[in-house]
Amino acid sequence: MEALNEIVPVKMEQFLPAVIQFKMDGCRLVQICASRLPGQYELSYSFAKACDMWTLRLTVGEDEPVSSITQVYPCAFLQENEVAELFGVKIENISQDYKHKLYRIDREAPFKEKG
Amino acid sequence: MASFRFWPFAQTALKNLFSKPATTGYPFEPAHYPERMRGHVEIAVEDCISCGLCARNCPPRALTVDRAAGTWSINRFDCVQCGNCVNVCPKKCLKLAPQYTRPGAQKQTDTYTRPVPPGQEGPKAGARPANDQEKCVYCTLCAKKCPQGAIAVDRAAKTWALDGKKCIGCGLCAASCPKKCLTMK
Amino acid sequence: MAKRSIVPFGPQHPVLPEPVHLDLVLEDETVVEAVPSIGFVHRGLEKLVEMKDFKEYVYIAERVCGICSFGHGMGYCQSVERIMNAEVPARANYLRTIWMEMSRVHSHLLWLGLLADAMGFESLFMESWRLREKILDMFDLTTGGRVIFSVNCIGGVLKDMDSAMLSAIRSTVDSMEKELRPIADSFLRDFTVGSRLRGMGVLKPEQAVQLGAVGPMLRASGVSYDARALGYAAYPELEVEPVTADEGDSYARCQVRIGELYQSFSLIRQAIEKIPQGPISAPVKGNPSGEHFMRIEQPRGEAIYYVKANGTKFLDRFRLRTPTTSNIPPMLELLKGCQLADVPLLILTIDPCISCTER
Repeated sequence: MEALNEIVPVKMEQFLPAVIQFKMDGCRLVQICASRLPGQYELSYSFAKACDMWTLRLTVGEDEPVSSITQVYPCAFLQENEVAELFGVKIENISQDYKHKLYRIDREAPFKEKG
Repeated sequence: MASFRFWPFAQTALKNLFSKPATTGYPFEPAHYPERMRGHVEIAVEDCISCGLCARNCPPRALTVDRAAGTWSINRFDCVQCGNCVNVCPKKCLKLAPQYTRPGAQKQTDTYTRPVPPGQEGPKAGARPANDQEKCVYCTLCAKKCPQGAIAVDRAAKTWALDGKKCIGCGLCAASCPKKCLTMK
Repeated sequence: MAKRSIVPFGPQHPVLPEPVHLDLVLEDETVVEAVPSIGFVHRGLEKLVEMKDFKEYVYIAERVCGICSFGHGMGYCQSVERIMNAEVPARANYLRTIWMEMSRVHSHLLWLGLLADAMGFESLFMESWRLREKILDMFDLTTGGRVIFSVNCIGGVLKDMDSAMLSAIRSTVDSMEKELRPIADSFLRDFTVGSRLRGMGVLKPEQAVQLGAVGPMLRASGVSYDARALGYAAYPELEVEPVTADEGDSYARCQVRIGELYQSFSLIRQAIEKIPQGPISAPVKGNPSGEHFMRIEQPRGEAIYYVKANGTKFLDRFRLRTPTTSNIPPMLELLKGCQLADVPLLILTIDPCISCTER
């Protein structure tokens, strides 16, 4: 039996309610990942319950702020800090914000540009 | 729940006192290497055709191939012994042998030069295969042998095309051609 | 109210081999809060995927970590194979499973050794690592490397094992199983060891799920989830039953890992018995296009490999979420309320690998 592994696109206004719904269903946070699109970012938040996994896909503009999910899932703080630091995604209100000091790197947002 | 005991390790500790050590006496005794050990890269340079595939597929870029001079060089201290060069080599003239690179104070590069047999010059640098359309039977062997996928042969339409950008002039197509209609020019 | 003080811990600490720094907020000797900071060994290996051919990147994926090396290579290959719909030959799947389980044995024995070392039990540490050496010799024999194996490729594996090698692995596993018993006994039944582990750092099942714990950490809290049940490589054809414990303390985590050692021995034996003949790799044509989230069970827990490809030979994005990234938040929870002297031991029970975490 193949376990569920779905990518669900969401809009910004549905995003936090969807995360809260996962929390209420007793899912655990699996991972947070960002990737580049031209002039945009693509954020993926994966949640799993037992073997099934759902990934929320959020597309945000380069300067568009995203709300942190640490209020719902406190354990997200490390991965959100990583996304904010490496890609320069504007994530707001992280409960434990490292302010781009998580990794000791020279360049700001090194993953933002190709090469 | 497992019951707790005092000193369950005592027996092992006592046994270790009176048994031979688990380690060997290296460097006074020689180390034994298994046959597959990836220690360092060796080249049979006389078989090398300077195609440069190894250099382009080397993850740490430790290899350099000079086609004109017929040399193959490796920076032993950049090499990570992944074995990718051995896997991509079309002539199978590279192999991984046991024994690691000796430690050194400076990075060093080993260069191997291909000997040129008298009177038999290999294909010149930058040579590309040329097809004699009259002799060609469109068997597609050259296309299959090409490590870069630079040759497209259509048997039905009787066409033979070379992608000059992809071709690296390795000469494998000419060597494999059953009709000898390919020449390196 | 007692006076609060902050004690810096790490990144260099006598009993902790991992470069993690914690600011411990103490009330007398009791930890109230721990603030982690990592970032000492960030190398940007994820970024490198944009500059290397996707077939070449296998070798880089393997070098993310020295302990889970095989798993990282395999996870990366499997996600690319999934995108390209490449059929991996059955024998290659079995070989991958055997190597993966051998990696688990070597990782868990390494952890047991480090645990003993953190408690100051030097001879038990050496005993565990002596046993681990046998599995490293088997890696050396079959792949040519003790830590980095370079046997994975997109579409299968690069090296085959002949029957002599398989029987050598089998007899090594048999003898290791016998030799593990006194060592396991010392961990699970010794009074002194028990007093350092029992009741320390209890993680309740609800907490474990909410904080996103994975691997032995999650299973020690009584949650039966093992990514091997998802069915990759040859696992669907073998019997994999998640090893769990109920207490959720350090002792339970030790118990789960020792249980998994025996489970891995059994899986290696099953795989050697069932391994079919046939080719070890299938040719892969063209470039990948698409994306996939691959989950595999590493020795330290579930790891996620995300590959996004655009149809060229350079991938757009490779993301690796390692088990330790997920296990750090529950670790911070464990530390609350413990004694300063227990901090290194509690950090160690999550089996941290910071070099994986930062990539």
